[in-house]
Amino acid sequence: MQRRDFFKKLGVVAAVSAVAPVISFAGDKPKSKNAMSYATAVSAITGGKTPKKSAKVKLKVPEIAENGAVVPVTVNVESPMTSSDYVKAIHILAAKNFNSRCIDVNLTPANGKAMFSTRIKLGGTQEVSALVELSNGDFLIATQSVKVTIGGCG
Amino acid sequence: MHIAAVLGLGAATSGVASTKTINKLSAKDIYKFNSMGNFTLLHMCDIHAHIKPLYWREPSTLISAPNLVGTPGFLCGEAFAKHYGLEPSSLDAYFDTYMDFEALAKKFGKMGGIAHMKTYLNHVRKERGEENVLFLDSGDTWQGTGVALKTRGEAIVKAQNYLGVDIMTGHWEFTYGKERVLELIEMLDAKFVAQNVIGNDPFEDEYEELIFEPYTIQERGGAKIGVIGQAFPFTSTANPKEFTEGWSFGIRPETLQDYVNELRNEHKVDCVVVISHDGFSVDQEVARMVHGIDFILSGHTHDPSPQPIVIDGTVIVIAGSHGKYVGRLDIDASNGKVHGYEYKLVPMASNIIPADPEGVKLVNDLYAPFDKELNEVLGKTKHTLYKRDTFFSTFDQLINDAILDEMKCDMAFTPGYRWGTTVLAGDDILMDNVYEMCGITYPSVYTFDLKGKQIANLLEDIADNVFNANPLYQQGGDMSRLGGVTYSIAVAGKAGERISKLMIGGKPIDLDKTYVVSSWGGNLQNAGENLQEDKIRPVYDVTRDYIKRQGVVDVSNEGNVTLVDFDCGCPVKGSTSC
Repeated sequence: MQRRDFFKKLGVVAAVSAVAPVISFAGDKPKSKNAMSYATAVSAITGGKTPKKSAKVKLKVPEIAENGAVVPVTVNVESPMTSSDYVKAIHILAAKNFNSRCIDVNLTPANGKAMFSTRIKLGGTQEVSALVELSNGDFLIATQSVKVTIGGCG
Repeated sequence: MHIAAVLGLGAATSGVASTKTINKLSAKDIYKFNSMGNFTLLHMCDIHAHIKPLYWREPSTLISAPNLVGTPGFLCGEAFAKHYGLEPSSLDAYFDTYMDFEALAKKFGKMGGIAHMKTYLNHVRKERGEENVLFLDSGDTWQGTGVALKTRGEAIVKAQNYLGVDIMTGHWEFTYGKERVLELIEMLDAKFVAQNVIGNDPFEDEYEELIFEPYTIQERGGAKIGVIGQAFPFTSTANPKEFTEGWSFGIRPETLQDYVNELRNEHKVDCVVVISHDGFSVDQEVARMVHGIDFILSGHTHDPSPQPIVIDGTVIVIAGSHGKYVGRLDIDASNGKVHGYEYKLVPMASNIIPADPEGVKLVNDLYAPFDKELNEVLGKTKHTLYKRDTFFSTFDQLINDAILDEMKCDMAFTPGYRWGTTVLAGDDILMDNVYEMCGITYPSVYTFDLKGKQIANLLEDIADNVFNANPLYQQGGDMSRLGGVTYSIAVAGKAGERISKLMIGGKPIDLDKTYVVSSWGGNLQNAGENLQEDKIRPVYDVTRDYIKRQGVVDVSNEGNVTLVDFDCGCPVKGSTSC
């Protein structure tokens, strides 16, 4: 019953993002570029601009990770996604990972919706950010702390 | 919002008349209630399989981040009595605080027990009419005693069926493993609901689907009541992952909001209730994030809260632990709205509320196959043995002493669970009491090597789980109990900088040295090296053997932790002292 309804809802989400965004996993790039600190990664993306904190960027990530090796992250950006006003790219960053730059997702208005969902690996407790590039050249950011714990208290 | 407007109608509790002595106190005094509205919710949480009455001493230390100390969820002892206006030495003071516990235990006797609870439930069902009462259970019901462990939860399901539980959710329930959980749910007359457990194994049919029904709708007193389940969100990190492999947990406030909206807009319910195992402080955050919940019947953190708290129009109650209380909530709801309510946390005083003979027989039958083992007298205790408190408690120290003695390790970790038991000074220690402290499905004591640096980091990590200023980053337990170790802690310190003067075996910790560590009930062995497989034994056997060797155990209440930024265990709000 409710399980089916829940599944149906998921189906809708999947359909919306059917136009596949262009994705490049940072891990695919040459190793030298991988060893990138958070500050370096941000300035490499923004060209030195300071991104603005924005409630338009909805970053969904658990406060406490169930498993640091596969932490689910969903980024949803409020945007009309028209040719004059759209989200050009979503970048997911993990502040303390050896390579901070987890993933770059390039979008076009044809994507219809600025939404991306993936799983990232976190080496330890740290801040995760969604850095968003808009078509007008502005950068927006949302950040949340994620705890990666060995656990064991009940 | 809808409820805030009618708060004036009576959130205050009618505590048990305190000036009366035990001889004059009758069940009537305990039952007294200004009944109102068209239906009643009865609530229990965290009974931890205590189907027999027990002694349970509340904490004498309950410290958290400075912004939380002295607020509901972080109140104990004198601060608790002051906050709720308890009379000293009253039945309520005995149930709700540690103060004068031993003398009052002699006066008032044991607490809880399903036979006594049933008498009270029957009283309310008779008074209100059975068709107007719903009995809800926020979980941590199936685990916590020898009889639960040995029947893999079945004895407790029978107890729930006898009590007439209508709806439940879970946490420690999951430590019997997925298959057993589903088997027990089959035996259970109640519905098991959880909106926040989702399949995460892509090779299973349940992938990204709900494992349990997220909610159920019941009609009582002419009102449609939607009851959503919220299982413990951190089950997969707080307990071993293998029990719930393929199931993902989390707070999931977004889907919780969806179900609240669905109940209101599509099903047109009159009242939205969440039975939750989030913990009292996390549920206060949930009430801030999710709108339209009328009542959260909380659990997990074991707080006895004599009064509800109201956050953004959501009323939150929690009914202590170990079967000590039943919460009674009378509600007036119709036309999609709650118009008023009345709440009381009712103490299950076993010497005052008579036992239902059928319940006594059921408990005896359930215990019969195990009586010989569970009733074995292992020794005596010189001082009261208790569980709880933020850093140290005597029964945990006894377990650590047993581990240090047998494993010949440098230090021992015992988990900061909040369930257990209390054994009064001078009393016999039974094997049953040992299971009450450590009866779990993963009881192995592991002995392995850890570097000093790792130990220091682990302690900081655990401290941040307990003392994070944001309840969403806490897991609702207390600090792990350390044997062979002393330390100082500044609770308000930054993550990673709280602990100082860390000593192992009386010497300052050497960060480069390798220490032999024993631990149980956690995941620390996964971080260690050179696991000594020949030493692995269940903690309840290690503890039993040690008590037998000692005969009389003498554990002092002198803790091993120095608190730097508070001068007492039960500080009041906005202060570092009492």
